[in-house]
Amino acid sequence: MIGLGNPEAGDDAVGLLSVQLARPELTELPGVEIVQAGAGVHVIDLLQGIEAAVVVDAIRAPLGGRAPGTVVRVEAGPEGLPAEASSSLSSHGFGVAEAVGLAAALGEVPLVVFIGVEVAELTAGSPLSAPVEAALPALVAAVVEEARRLAGP
Amino acid sequence: MTQRQVEVPVIARVEGEGALHITTKDDEILDLRLEIYEPPRFFEAFLQGRHFSEVPDIVPRICGICPVAYQMSAIHGLEQLFGVQVPDGTHELRRLLYCGEWIESHILHIFLLAAPDFLEMHSAIEMAKEHPELVKTVLGIKRVGNDIMEKVGGREIHPVSPRVGGFSRAARKRELDPLLPRLEWALEQMPGIADFVATLPRPELPRQTEMVGLVHPDEYGINEGDLASTTGRRFTAAEFEQVSREEHVAHSNALHSVMVDTGAPYFVGPLARVNLNAGQLTPVATDVMRRAGLSVPEADPFFSMAARLAEATLAVEESIRIIRDYRAPEPSMAQVTPRAGRGMWVTEAPRGALYHRYDVAEDGTILEAKIVPPTSQNLRHMEKDLRDFLPGVLDRPDEELTRLCEMVVRNYDPCISCATHFLTLDVTRL
Repeated sequence: MIGLGNPEAGDDAVGLLSVQLARPELTELPGVEIVQAGAGVHVIDLLQGIEAAVVVDAIRAPLGGRAPGTVVRVEAGPEGLPAEASSSLSSHGFGVAEAVGLAAALGEVPLVVFIGVEVAELTAGSPLSAPVEAALPALVAAVVEEARRLAGP
Repeated sequence: MTQRQVEVPVIARVEGEGALHITTKDDEILDLRLEIYEPPRFFEAFLQGRHFSEVPDIVPRICGICPVAYQMSAIHGLEQLFGVQVPDGTHELRRLLYCGEWIESHILHIFLLAAPDFLEMHSAIEMAKEHPELVKTVLGIKRVGNDIMEKVGGREIHPVSPRVGGFSRAARKRELDPLLPRLEWALEQMPGIADFVATLPRPELPRQTEMVGLVHPDEYGINEGDLASTTGRRFTAAEFEQVSREEHVAHSNALHSVMVDTGAPYFVGPLARVNLNAGQLTPVATDVMRRAGLSVPEADPFFSMAARLAEATLAVEESIRIIRDYRAPEPSMAQVTPRAGRGMWVTEAPRGALYHRYDVAEDGTILEAKIVPPTSQNLRHMEKDLRDFLPGVLDRPDEELTRLCEMVVRNYDPCISCATHFLTLDVTRL
């Protein structure tokens, strides 16, 4: 379970926060490891030697078109993640989609579920925006449900 | 006369957000503006009123790729002000942590961000399909760097063990030893990787410039030392703001650094460091530099990739040396008593010299913080390079022109994040 983002950049913190809030329930599941990372590029290393990953990150549709707070869920196929995840805000422009795509290109991609949250406010030092704050409970529930499903009975 | 405007949504693979606007007429550049939106200013304000002990947890949040650099400049600056004598072995453990960041950041930039440009590929994913074994190898090397950071710094969003005074918990030798065979494996790969880098088609941008970096009498400068330049300047971190000044520019809220006396831009980063310190490169790093085609002096920025690879190799060799001889600092931390005054320090982030200054009250409260990141020191030079580079390629189609502009900017390994998220490029041809 990988939460990504910058805790000091408004809605960019949403991936970190959701994983943190889900932590009490996640730690009860067998075989689940929780990782909070600052940059999507670290996902390259985290995908090594695992069966499945859930990655939660802030996203922004390049041309708008998604309401802030919208939660998007996509699964990686043999070519990596679909387009929704490529608007992930992770650092260095080398984000989750690129990390998963790289693993896919090398034939080493595990099962990856990407959960993205459309952001509104990314100014350094600002709190979560109202729509993202409002989406948080449903997001945390989705994170837990995904982990339960993947962790198995 | 035809007028065209081209907008390209993203300069991907660059940390942060910004925009590049270019207006051309025939073969002439009428206007060129690199706009960066830069939040380190937020962090400077955020640090005000905080206790000095919180600083090592706040500053790494500025960048997800070089958190150690921010911690190290801050910690050393505060220790210098407080007159802290850190326990024996602290210097080496910090250098090891920093080497982990250099390995990870340099390998990431060379192979996942820059090499696809040189190969005229769209991404590292395309490169991975073409060169799968190479990409697997470099990812393995990158992971060793990452694991050094985890073992020394802790496995959190950012390293949590570095403190003013030392480490909250110093890694044990038995925790570090398992890294040795993997580092030795990484070192064996480096000459072959250098041979690959030498085959990459490299654009040329001959130029004269002043290059600035840390120098140290006993080691390749990373955490400690004075600043020197290729035109013979020598100054301390305490003199930094008398030598380099930040200018506000109308088109950007980022600041551009220039030399106080000449008003000219200068250049920081791996190529500057190699030019200043080539004699202190470790043996394999020296071989790697030559194999990759770099001999100093060399100011062409497109040799930065070779310089990065030499430094990544140095970081591997230094990590091996430090772990072999390692004895955990005991105690892990010195007692720290704050005192009022000003602390200043420069360390070498993967992308160049990083200056911090703290004004502190008697009780240890931060009164004012000043951070000059390497990217803002290089920004003026990036614009200059673009102006010098573009006239030779302005006849190219928009798509290729865009790619070339991205390549010039990305070659600096800019950490615009330290800002926000996208760099958009638009070219207006009048």
